[in-house]
Amino acid sequence: MSISYLLVLLGLGIFGCAVWALFWAIDSGQYDDLESQGRAIFDQDDPPDP
Amino acid sequence: MSAAEALHARWSLDNGEHEHVVFVAEGIHCAGCARSIEKAVNVLPGIEAVRVNSATARVSIDWRSREGTGLRQILDAVERAGFTPTPLAGSAASAEYRQERRAALKRFSLAALGMMQAMMYLTALYGVTDIDASLAQLMRIAGMVIVTPVLFYSGAPFLSGAWRDLRNRRLGMDVPVAFALVLAWLPSVFNTLRASGEVYFDSIGMFIFFLSAGRFVEMSVRHRSLSSTEALARSLPAQVTRIATDGNRCKVAAEELVPGDRFSVPTGGVVAVDAQLAPDAPADGALLDESLITGEASAARRRAGDLIRGGSVNLGAPLVLVASAAVAQSTLASIVALLERAQSERPAIARVADRVASWFVFAILILAAVTALAWAWIDPRMVFPAVLAVLVVTCPCALSLATPAALAAATLRLARVGLLVTRVDALERLARIDTVVLDKTGTLTSGATAINAVKLLGMRTRAEVLAIAAALERDSLHPLAAAFAPHAVAAVRADSVHEFAGDGVQGNVAGNRWRLGRRRFVEALSNAGKLLPLVRRSDADSAVYLGGGDGLVAAFEIGAPLRPEAAESVRALRLQGLDVLIASGDSDAAVARAARALGVQHARARLAPADKTALLHELRAGGHRVFMIGDGINDGPVLAAADVSCAMGQGSAIAHCAADLLLLHESLASLPLAVATARRTLRVMRQNLVWALGYNLAAVPLAASGFISPWLAALGMSLSSLGVVLNARRLAHGEHGT
Repeated sequence: MSISYLLVLLGLGIFGCAVWALFWAIDSGQYDDLESQGRAIFDQDDPPDP
Repeated sequence: MSAAEALHARWSLDNGEHEHVVFVAEGIHCAGCARSIEKAVNVLPGIEAVRVNSATARVSIDWRSREGTGLRQILDAVERAGFTPTPLAGSAASAEYRQERRAALKRFSLAALGMMQAMMYLTALYGVTDIDASLAQLMRIAGMVIVTPVLFYSGAPFLSGAWRDLRNRRLGMDVPVAFALVLAWLPSVFNTLRASGEVYFDSIGMFIFFLSAGRFVEMSVRHRSLSSTEALARSLPAQVTRIATDGNRCKVAAEELVPGDRFSVPTGGVVAVDAQLAPDAPADGALLDESLITGEASAARRRAGDLIRGGSVNLGAPLVLVASAAVAQSTLASIVALLERAQSERPAIARVADRVASWFVFAILILAAVTALAWAWIDPRMVFPAVLAVLVVTCPCALSLATPAALAAATLRLARVGLLVTRVDALERLARIDTVVLDKTGTLTSGATAINAVKLLGMRTRAEVLAIAAALERDSLHPLAAAFAPHAVAAVRADSVHEFAGDGVQGNVAGNRWRLGRRRFVEALSNAGKLLPLVRRSDADSAVYLGGGDGLVAAFEIGAPLRPEAAESVRALRLQGLDVLIASGDSDAAVARAARALGVQHARARLAPADKTALLHELRAGGHRVFMIGDGINDGPVLAAADVSCAMGQGSAIAHCAADLLLLHESLASLPLAVATARRTLRVMRQNLVWALGYNLAAVPLAASGFISPWLAALGMSLSSLGVVLNARRLAHGEHGT
């Protein structure tokens, strides 16, 4: 049964990592505009500055 | 806050005695919040009106600064009430929105992840008896470790909202929600610490997940309806190239332009202020895209002397324009101000819903107490889930969102086709009308008028009378005035010009006093009687007389063609079951001709503004609900006498307009659409109210009797709130391709 303890703790760790990664993604603006970036591949001009 | 003050300086229409500001107050989620802002601001001296719309989170305040209240004090009062005022338009506002959106997204995603993870652990405890005690305890601790941050981070808006409500001694909608959350969390933590008994961490996680999902959608809808006005305000260029008298070009801020300044607009550039083409412009004029303001997609050609509205896009060669108004007085600023007023007002029906919602919360708390007592007597184990379900399942939010959400969506929809709703309850009234009264001149007929014939009645020559008339009408906004514009002579100038609504204009030309307009009005200036037989009644569309102290000198026949879409629009209005009437100041023959062409049976001619007002009063006394469409300048008092009014939008006059609706592109085709949209809005509002009431009435007894588990209650509550908002959203997109 001791594997269960390890799995619970591991789950908590992964949960923490997932929350951290998601917060990082939101704070760095990845979710600010979900539409126009997808259309950018059709632009004739150079890609916009990052 | 300094940004809000800067914005105020930019958009305030009247910087004198009456001050006006619109801003967004962060933290408004429901109706009760709106009332606590109203209360907090109303105690300040000099406040005239505070309007708060909980659906759009807009606060609009009118006050007199003379009595010592500044914007600073007002914003402070709003902050003290527990809300953060943020400016409405411009880049500062969109940064605020981005922050708000990111924060909401983080709360929502933490709740989603936390809910899944907590559920995974805690289902292990569901009805399982042979689980190892120390493993069960580990599960409880894991649940607590995950859900506690979810509660205090993702659930923070609800907890702080409830705290604010209680501090203001008010029962808002966050109160029962926060009460339920804390009520579930405290015993769960207690049971975890003593390592036995039930824990409700999974229910808390799921509840917060549903709630923050609902709030997130609500916020997106609100941002979208705000962004329409924001897009208008932001589309103006911040800088323009001003051309000095010596031909030097320099870049200045758009706010620095004053009427009379020359400035250039490049190809593809946006015109910053209301302007006219410079006199030396090419003869074929300029090609402009005015879709931002009028919603009219096709390009418009403007010639020298025509008004070019700020916000138009130059499609042709680079232009040189002469500013005719400063930024704050331009059409676009007026439109933004009117839209903001409409979006911050709250209709009567919504105020009733707010009051009901407040009592509703109170009733819920009583009911929860009764439920607790009843179950304690019947089955003590059921007390907790039943109370939790009662607190959670009820949704006063749906009740108070029902009408504002629908109105905001409909306003947005109509703004997109160039019809501005300037008063929020206008749609409600428009949905109930049964009679349409149309003015003829400038409404059914287009603004493009021309002089068909000139009858000379005195000693003056044709060229002389035309020059005098053109000088008098030079600055007039009356639709007929445009007919005289081509005959203007630079050497002939009029001064002390005064306009008499419905009668005509009076002014001095070369030291003589002249009047131009209705015959009776013009004759009143001279010794009328002796000249009376000279003129026969004219059969022209509109006969305008010119006369001085010596009597009449000329009669002008001015004609204007019917708008091409008029017949189709009138037919569509009649198909909607409406009676259509024409009420005009024109001659019998002209009105009869227009009525025949449009297939209208009832037409009244030769009505002075007072007669039109009387006609409207008569109709309304007869039980009719009247929709009046006229031009905003001459028909002001007439429009005010109707149940709902619509004016044709014309330049800067928009700001002073008293009408409920404004047609920005002057196309009548939007009217049937407006009536249809208003009717649909009323239907959606009723659906929403019925849905919200029905849901609550059905859910509460089920929850109290223990049939609904807390998580199901959370789902139901969020779905009923979402249902109301999404139902309203349908209005913004339009059905049946209209």
